[in-house]
Amino acid sequence: MARTWSTPALAVLCGAGVLLLGGTGLFLAALFLQVAPSNALSQRYRGPIDQLVYPEFEQNWKLFAPNPLQQNLSVDARVQTISPTEHVTTRDWVGLTAQDIAAIRDNPAPSHLDQNMLRRAWDFYDSTHSTQDGTVAVAGERGRLAEEYLKRIGLQRLGRTPGGERVLQIQFRLRTAAIAPPSWSAEEAPAAVADRVLPWWPVDETDYQGLG
Amino acid sequence: MSAPQETGPRPLAGIPAQPGAPAAAEPSAGRVRQAFDSFTGRAAGPYQAAVVRIGFGLAWAAYLLREWPNRRVLYGDRSPWSDALAARLLAENHAFTVLTWYHGRLWFELVYQLAIVAAVLLVLGWRTRASGALFLVTVLSLQNRNVLVGDGGDNVVHLMAVYLVVTRSAQVWSLDARRARRARPGGGGDGRDGGGGGGGGRGAVWLWGLLGVALATGQPGRVWGLLWVLWLTAGVWYAVDRWRPDGEPRAVLDALANMLHNCGMLVIAAQVVLIYSTAGWYKVQGSRWQDGTALHYPLHLDYFVPWPGLSGLLGSSLLLVFLLSYGTVILQVAFPFTLFNRRLKNVLLALMMLEHAAIAVTLGLPFFSLAMIAADAVFLPSGFLRGVPGSVRRVLKGVRR
Repeated sequence: MARTWSTPALAVLCGAGVLLLGGTGLFLAALFLQVAPSNALSQRYRGPIDQLVYPEFEQNWKLFAPNPLQQNLSVDARVQTISPTEHVTTRDWVGLTAQDIAAIRDNPAPSHLDQNMLRRAWDFYDSTHSTQDGTVAVAGERGRLAEEYLKRIGLQRLGRTPGGERVLQIQFRLRTAAIAPPSWSAEEAPAAVADRVLPWWPVDETDYQGLG
Repeated sequence: MSAPQETGPRPLAGIPAQPGAPAAAEPSAGRVRQAFDSFTGRAAGPYQAAVVRIGFGLAWAAYLLREWPNRRVLYGDRSPWSDALAARLLAENHAFTVLTWYHGRLWFELVYQLAIVAAVLLVLGWRTRASGALFLVTVLSLQNRNVLVGDGGDNVVHLMAVYLVVTRSAQVWSLDARRARRARPGGGGDGRDGGGGGGGGRGAVWLWGLLGVALATGQPGRVWGLLWVLWLTAGVWYAVDRWRPDGEPRAVLDALANMLHNCGMLVIAAQVVLIYSTAGWYKVQGSRWQDGTALHYPLHLDYFVPWPGLSGLLGSSLLLVFLLSYGTVILQVAFPFTLFNRRLKNVLLALMMLEHAAIAVTLGLPFFSLAMIAADAVFLPSGFLRGVPGSVRRVLKGVRR
């Protein structure tokens, strides 16, 4: 049953209605402009849109789009350790991604730890580091964060004292295996991509903080 | 529902406006009045709101329980994404989390267990405004502590946790609704207490006081401001409900809550549409989706292949891969437009839920899929949803026999 409102009540409701509907409209418009391709309107109102959308309403729905990833990326790590008699040993590569894959196999509910942590840490590193002519350009604070994060993931996985010795430095390597086109496709398999080997990163006590 | 307006007594043509039906005399004014009444007078889609609430509560609770053994490495004191690293990113993006307020394991454990409790309470619809607020705080806190372990599923939970706070999602299928029914035996069940923050009782006052203390000990910020507003509103609501239950202020509050709920539901629906539109539109531009082999690739991505045999089988057929690749794009691009045709919308909705269920198994993404199905559920037809409890009861009876 519709109610008969007094004038003040009606004023409150109408005012609130206008605010709510207007706010909702603006909010949805901002969301739309954030997910739409960069366009004249979104460039013009970049500032206000970002202020509204970030950090809590950020969205990225380009899962497998425009194209799905067509390579299996795997991250390996190795360390150099030093013995009490100052003898330095370079240890074997350990397949960190291979550990993830092993944990995911036959698992109806893979953990974010195996499915996302290293995978996204590498993406984070990759998106903040560009290689040009062999030199690596680090993109600001985020680039440094990505390096420390990747380093700590590696250190946690490899343990504190591999072979009973103290770790001097750690190195990462990315291997890229292109996924072959489907068997019925006439397309040729893409050319092999060379391994990407990162420089050695020095390790000290602070890098282990909280790793357990 | 709209039938009574057609059959009700209408003013006679040619006779000046009669008392009792002033608004109906002018068609356009009547329509405005009608729109106003339904915007302020009822919280739209009670069943849809409830199913979204239950779905997201379940998805997040299941996720937290699954990750219980890994919780400290993902979000806590053992994480490679240390407190210090998190603090540096948070200083840049100003995301909300209570986890950086105190260091150490105790605080983290408290928040993590509280997150599980909040999710379960949200499913049950117990003091839903408070549970919803707690759900929001805990979801944001955990996810923003380490955004780098999340995926699309976490993103949807994050958004819905915010939207759900403004909805009256406990009008049906909740402990709140049951309490309201019991408090008003045969009262026609106007569902006013459904997620309205009311419900009275000494328990409510204690809970409110406790949350007030918790708020006072927190650090101010945008999200915290929103929580203060919620808290104050709940206080005002209680006072008005207690001392002027039949007065106009109570009715105004009720209408405001309805309006807010209706806007919230609109945002939830629009958000789901936005997800599918963007996913679809960006795929249309991809060469692999165009040549119909797109699905082949995720089926061979090691990170998304828990069952190599199953993935191999699915990916081995040209026709199947083509149909699923094209079907996915068509489904996602077309969905928003089918909202204007009930029957077509329902068919597409069923297909989409089915696809998500398949993704859960094939790509090893059960929590992502559960969250997406919960989001899809906002578009389920009311008739179907109303029938669900009956069907469940019948199935249970059959099982018992």
